[in-house]
Amino acid sequence: MKVLVSWLREYVDIPFKVDELEERLSMLGLGVEGIERIGSDDAVFDLEIAANRGDLMSHLGVARELAAATRSTVRLPSGDVARDRQTVSEFVHVEVREPDLCPRFTATMLVDVRVGSSPEWLTRRLEACDVRSINNIVDVTNYVMLEMGQPMHAFDFDRVRGGRLVVRPARSKEVLTTLDGVQRTLDPQTLVVADAEQAAGIAGIIGAAPSEITASTRRVLLEAAVWHPPMIRRTSKRLGVRTESSARFERGVDQASVPSASARAVALMQQVGGGRALDGLIDVQARRVPQKQIALNWSTVPRVLGTDVSLNEGVATLRSLGFQAEASDGTVRVVVPSYRRDVEREEDLVEDIARHHGYERIPEEMPVEVTAQGSWAPSIDAERAVRDVLIRTGLTEVLTVPLTNGAALEMLRLPDKHPYRDAVPIRNPMVEDHVLLRTTLLPGLLHVARSNASHRLTDIQVFEIGRTFHPNRAGAREQRSLGVLMTGATLRGAWNLPPESVRVTYYTLKGVLESLLAELRVPEAEFRSAQASWLHPGRAASLTLGGHAIGTLGELHPDLSRALDLPAITYIAEVDLEALLEHAVLQPRFVPPPRYPSMRRDISFVVDAGVPVAEVEAAIRRAGRPLLESVELFDIYTAAPVPEGRRNLAYALSFRSPDRTLTAEEIVETMGAITRALEKGLGAKIRD
Amino acid sequence: MAAILFSVRAMEDLKRVAQEAEAAIRGAGSKQALEEVRRAYLGRKGIVTRLFEDLPKVTAAERPAAGRRLNELRTRLETRLEERLREVTVSERTSRLAEEAIDVTLPGRKPRLGRRHVLSQTLEEVQDIFHGMGFEIVEGTEVETDEFNFERLNMGRDHPARDAQDSFFISDDLLLRTHTTVVDAHAMIGRAPPMRILTTGRCYRRDAPDWKRMPVFHQVDGFMVGEHITLANLKGVLVSFARQLFGPETKTKFVPGYFPFTEPSAELYVYFNNQWMELGGSGMFHPRVLEYAGIDPQRYTAFAFGLGIDRQVMVRYGIPDIRMLWDNDLRVLEQF
Repeated sequence: MKVLVSWLREYVDIPFKVDELEERLSMLGLGVEGIERIGSDDAVFDLEIAANRGDLMSHLGVARELAAATRSTVRLPSGDVARDRQTVSEFVHVEVREPDLCPRFTATMLVDVRVGSSPEWLTRRLEACDVRSINNIVDVTNYVMLEMGQPMHAFDFDRVRGGRLVVRPARSKEVLTTLDGVQRTLDPQTLVVADAEQAAGIAGIIGAAPSEITASTRRVLLEAAVWHPPMIRRTSKRLGVRTESSARFERGVDQASVPSASARAVALMQQVGGGRALDGLIDVQARRVPQKQIALNWSTVPRVLGTDVSLNEGVATLRSLGFQAEASDGTVRVVVPSYRRDVEREEDLVEDIARHHGYERIPEEMPVEVTAQGSWAPSIDAERAVRDVLIRTGLTEVLTVPLTNGAALEMLRLPDKHPYRDAVPIRNPMVEDHVLLRTTLLPGLLHVARSNASHRLTDIQVFEIGRTFHPNRAGAREQRSLGVLMTGATLRGAWNLPPESVRVTYYTLKGVLESLLAELRVPEAEFRSAQASWLHPGRAASLTLGGHAIGTLGELHPDLSRALDLPAITYIAEVDLEALLEHAVLQPRFVPPPRYPSMRRDISFVVDAGVPVAEVEAAIRRAGRPLLESVELFDIYTAAPVPEGRRNLAYALSFRSPDRTLTAEEIVETMGAITRALEKGLGAKIRD
Repeated sequence: MAAILFSVRAMEDLKRVAQEAEAAIRGAGSKQALEEVRRAYLGRKGIVTRLFEDLPKVTAAERPAAGRRLNELRTRLETRLEERLREVTVSERTSRLAEEAIDVTLPGRKPRLGRRHVLSQTLEEVQDIFHGMGFEIVEGTEVETDEFNFERLNMGRDHPARDAQDSFFISDDLLLRTHTTVVDAHAMIGRAPPMRILTTGRCYRRDAPDWKRMPVFHQVDGFMVGEHITLANLKGVLVSFARQLFGPETKTKFVPGYFPFTEPSAELYVYFNNQWMELGGSGMFHPRVLEYAGIDPQRYTAFAFGLGIDRQVMVRYGIPDIRMLWDNDLRVLEQF
């Protein structure tokens, strides 16, 4: 909201220069968004007014704050006017059918007016505040709005049919051309001010063309009313019309000062347009606003602020803001002025006292009453641990937007019934890219790979930890997910190294997940061959825990890489972190290093190529119990002399006992058991 | 040969043998050459060995002296050989090492270093600071009820402050949380004062993406409830936080503000890069918010604060466009 400093001076003495005024206003909580200087000692301030301070939406309101800051009081504008013998009620009839939405409606009239252009002082002030000058009568209504915060509307009385103003809901399909030139079809949700026949304006928001003031207007009917703030807010939002008027009504306008604002406008209209003011004011008010009284226990002030403010200072502040305040026995009895709609309880008064005392004078003190031990929610702890491990494996963290659309899912070529398709829609999306909540991190990661590839960055190893959303009966279930995407080289400066030795493969991705599982001490996780529409059919796996698949990993289907312009071979994984973390053990437990030496034996054998290595290892481990400590594959060979369809596997096995040095016989015995298991169970042929 | 061992000339011949042998040792440049010299003089058929073999031909009277001279010669040559062997070994190793020299300026093999996203990094930093000040770090859901997100924070259906927090709804009552303050409303339930709670997370507001706004962003919210919690404590804790995050000399200011859930309310600014930057809002919890959570506002007071993270990261690192935080361009991510 714009205020002109020289205009403020009409109501309060301002002993500050422009720069100091800026500082003062912002320390009072009136945020200064911009200053436009005029000459050496005048300026227009653009102020940010809090949503609960309708009373500050005027020069008088701002002046009141400055008066309190300088311990003075404001000079109120005059509304004195000579009234004619004829009364308004002889000509005008007002009917308010919705008193809840229109707590007060007043009408008065000025006759024999000459409509013309406004005097320069008036237009200059309006224009300084970004209000266009229309004619002297309309300009006065705007002037009083800027001055006192009361929006008004002036009608050409001779175009108000039946001499009636009716506050009623619009009729269904009632058509109205508003002053912004838009023809609107209304419905009963919208409250209008109508004449005897049809709507003449949308209540509190905008007037209409048929009854507007023109050069030929002689009789001015002046409406000054107060509207229900939520109704104004809803209507203004629904119609997409925000005006100076609606901005004030939705914050709340002082119901008690409507007559004085009306009188002020009449006085000014007479001053700039001549004419006679009819006597009386039609004033329809269902209920007077009760006077609010608050007992402020003075001990509340230090209890909330943590510093002492003297009682005298507090009382003086409240009084210069327009409160009545009487102190006795440590309690201040306060009567709240009608324009302070925001003040309801002690704390509201404490804030006014604190603002005027100065926030900068409140000390900075560390709380002393409790010594607390910081702690972490287990889920945060776990998420940080996962992030840490992945970073240690060399991955870079990315963050993608959880709002998405169907096209992102189409990338994955999902079958019709796939759970990823079951997304939570947003009811009121803003842009068409953001109409659903994501069900998977995969499209986001593919997008990251794609945009980096478009910058010719093809060594991409990234992960994201984020939430996915899935519909359930309560609305949406949130699930923490982990996504990993890897492609390109894992080492920089790999000159003279064979490129395949540094390039990411399926096993690099699997290794990352294995490292994660090991660090989280998750037991019994298994990788099994699996299928997913976005993965290479021969290079896809699922990660299972206790028989349940909790993730997928593999090589991105070459058709997808091509369609998305991704680097030729890309690996991608997604894991349900929630399920994984259920089995995680974050707290390390000390295990003493072994005291007795281990013994190593190698074993090499030929087995059907179709037997997964996981199965071979499981067989070795079972047979090697309890002495077998570790099983490490060190070679796979498939060419001749190994027969077609079979492969040679070579393992290094190590044996150890926790309580003795093993004998050669013990090892021979265990190796025998392993050999038999491989031969009998898997049809392996042991090589010597 | 035997004649040389006892004639005067023989004495000089022996000297000559010694001189020749020593010259040969000095001239040997490798272990192999040295071995040849050793063999020529001290080997089984070597010159010195043969002189020993001639010793019996010398008269008994002269034999001890001749034997002594021969022994001396042999010892001297052995010493010389050993010394020379050491020299040759060192020089051979030196030249071998010289041959093994590499171009130390060739590029190193650099394993890729993983890193946090700059937003995660900042959120963790903030969590760590408050954890250090005794706060319990908690989290909440991103899908929230209208009741918790607004009403329990003193923002009824028609509250004008809702305009600034235009929400994405997924049903009549469910929305994507517009601020992490909603977690405060949950955290107060089921806990008894005193409490120090902090939460961080994603929030959503109905904005089209542009250079300074994204429909999703990050916030930090915290509060402290106790019998003697004051606005001065709020200032103490937040100033300490700002100094830990931005440096010990950081200037801060608190300016009156308006939030429906706090009264009095204050906005926190820090002076950074020659400008005042707004970090967020704060204040003393409105008594009604405490009442909603079943906390007696007569007995307890509470301060609360909410800080925006994304803008702060932009200002702190000079990132001109908020969308760059979401582009995940590796050339950007790898700078942090």
